[in-house]
Amino acid sequence: MNYKLFIAILVICLVSCRKKGQEEEPVDPYDKQALLTNMADNVILPNYNAFKLSLDSLINAYNTFKTSELQSDYQIVKQKLHAACVNYQRISPYEFGPAETVIVRMNFNVFPTDTAQIKSNISSGVYTLDAASNLDAKGFPSLDYLFYGNNQSESAMIQLFVNSANRKQYVTDLLNDMSVKLNTVINGWNTSYHNTFVNSLGTDVGSSIGFLVNQLNFELDYLKNAKIGTPLGKKTLGIAIPDKCEAYYGAQSLQYAYETLLAIENVYLGRSKSGINGEGFDDYLIHLRAEYNGVSLNDAINNQFAVCKTKLSAIANPLSSQVTANPGVVDAAYVELVKLLVLLKTDMPSNLGVIITYQDGDGD
Amino acid sequence: MAIKLTTYINQKVSIAPLVIFRIAFGALMFISISRFILKGWVYNMYVAPKMFFPFYGFEWVKPLPEAGMYIVFGALLFASLGILLGALYRFCAVVFFILFTYVELIDKTNYLNHYYFISLISFILVFLPCAKNFSFDNKFFKRTELTNIPHFFVLLPQLQMFLVYFFAGVAKINYDWLFEAQPLKMWLPAFSHYSLIGDFMEKDWVAYVFSWFGCIYDLLIGFFLFNRRTVNVAYIFVIIFHAATALFFNIGMFPYIMMTITIIFFREEFHIAAVRQLKALTGYKDETGSAYSNGLNRPLKFIFAAYFILQFVLPFRYALYDGKLFWTEQGYRFSWRVMLMEKAGTAFFYVKDNKSGREVEVDNKKYLTYMQEKMMATQPDMMVDYAKFLKQEFVKSGFTDPTVRAQSFVTLNGSGSREFIDSQIDLSAQSNSFLKNKDWVKSY
Repeated sequence: MNYKLFIAILVICLVSCRKKGQEEEPVDPYDKQALLTNMADNVILPNYNAFKLSLDSLINAYNTFKTSELQSDYQIVKQKLHAACVNYQRISPYEFGPAETVIVRMNFNVFPTDTAQIKSNISSGVYTLDAASNLDAKGFPSLDYLFYGNNQSESAMIQLFVNSANRKQYVTDLLNDMSVKLNTVINGWNTSYHNTFVNSLGTDVGSSIGFLVNQLNFELDYLKNAKIGTPLGKKTLGIAIPDKCEAYYGAQSLQYAYETLLAIENVYLGRSKSGINGEGFDDYLIHLRAEYNGVSLNDAINNQFAVCKTKLSAIANPLSSQVTANPGVVDAAYVELVKLLVLLKTDMPSNLGVIITYQDGDGD
Repeated sequence: MAIKLTTYINQKVSIAPLVIFRIAFGALMFISISRFILKGWVYNMYVAPKMFFPFYGFEWVKPLPEAGMYIVFGALLFASLGILLGALYRFCAVVFFILFTYVELIDKTNYLNHYYFISLISFILVFLPCAKNFSFDNKFFKRTELTNIPHFFVLLPQLQMFLVYFFAGVAKINYDWLFEAQPLKMWLPAFSHYSLIGDFMEKDWVAYVFSWFGCIYDLLIGFFLFNRRTVNVAYIFVIIFHAATALFFNIGMFPYIMMTITIIFFREEFHIAAVRQLKALTGYKDETGSAYSNGLNRPLKFIFAAYFILQFVLPFRYALYDGKLFWTEQGYRFSWRVMLMEKAGTAFFYVKDNKSGREVEVDNKKYLTYMQEKMMATQPDMMVDYAKFLKQEFVKSGFTDPTVRAQSFVTLNGSGSREFIDSQIDLSAQSNSFLKNKDWVKSY
């Protein structure tokens, strides 16, 4: 009697569960390899290549200026520096595989930069850029300082280069350091890592999807904290610290913050370098029918991306003055970034079965 | 009834199951602990963290400095070998139980049901005459091989394993597990790339089958293992079940531990033959010398009566608290609730300086490991511990009478994240006493 009753209950349950009016179950399982292939071929590698082109172009422009010492060439360097930094933001969320080995973020974009260390490196002319003590005396933040200085006119800045062979050499070395590291990363992808990446189909610690989701969140956390929260004074009793802004001297913090958000969205959507929305986490979540308090999780996330863009765009340039002049507007953007972080760090991984951690361990 | 029970537990049975149990457990622990050390977890879990999350009432349990922690794990390796070989057996069992439990008590971040299980089994091992046959101790001390023991001793580990399965089954009798097939419905699709079975992993019916099979298996397997006539078939199910859990879940050694030590339920002829073979294999000659008593006395019976009553009561203590158990997690641990829910969260902590009235947001990464932050974000008692720690830290850095609040968003079984706790209360002033209901956790 017991087993009949049991089977009856089981059947009733299964039938009643199907009747919930959920969307139809997809026939085929989600093709995770298609997502990873799109990420590698249309998102990650094209963005690395674009960054490489812009970095090479910056190096060429700088070499021209080094010999010509012309103001027009100096201005070209600054334009190229800005373009390269924009392209850098787009590759910043890919800190896994070869980029993790090279430690791209720590070598390319530690801010605020240590101006005293830079000055001492230049005056002595002796430095090891790979030393830990020089991590905040290199990369884009240092270039920002070296080209935009602090309240100095452009001609005064140019004179600093003209008068100091060491300064010229220091910038050459910084650019070279970035170039070598970037080449190592691209080379790593072009040789073996591409294959490793598209064939790691799990969702556990160390899988490609695990990397993408974790790094996307790391980047968003970095945007929320380092790029917006810290200058706004979130860590300092609400007292703003303008000079902790990214690209403080060139005053391009906001554009880089916005680019960071786009870079995160690129990974989420699987959006290619040319702007085509390919297989990404949005498709994966739709496939899994992931929900968020009554709406689809993908809709909630897309909506939040849009809100964050609006709120970031609402901040007037430069961020360093707005954190004191209009902290309310900056804080409004901050609040929305927090909401996006919750969606991407809590809801998305939970639905994908991805563990948010870099640390291996057993569960039970 | 009472007389029947007395006869049952005093019945003379072969010691062989305990000998095999001791060898299997010692070997498995040696492998598990070596694995733990080699994976660098001693450092990650007991050296790297800046703060630890103690269990309520065990705040006095502190980690040792790095070298000390490695010595503890080294000692656990030796103790495992001692248990395996039956060399200074009782001493090794005591050392193993104390050190293993010590390590587990340091930080509840690392709480796992299977670690708790190992603590319990090693506690039981202390009282079992496992090394009175086929052991180094018999050789050293020239003791006669003990061949028969009271049934009581074999029953202890059996009953413990029975309870683990049974309560794991009871815990699965809940709406989400049975009628929503959660969390399996969320977990299984992650394996859609597996060959052969991958195509089925996203099917809802598969999640239901797994959920119901798991629940029924857990509830019944203990009964079938206890029955001499069904134990062999039951063991096949044990293998299937644990192989499946090993395939799908990141649970390390646990499936292998369960598969192996479940042989304690096998008929004694199996164990007698196994011991005979092992003796032949190692050239072990039975010792004859001084004899000893079987070791079963009244206090021991009382100790284990109390022990099992406690084991029966603990899983139900949650009923004393308000709110949904999976949400508040009050009374969640030590109850064999295994792989029961998909819960994730993000928590933002704010410390207020009450002199200036201003507030800072805490960078959790500065104080917690990834694992600690992840566990803390969904467990209210850990939030309280963390808040108390932050209070001390900020007093040190010059804050006046700091208060600590947190805004936390948690998702449970795909529900969509929502606010988890009252974001206005001072968490550092809350208590983790199990006499106190955590009424500041929002209702689910």
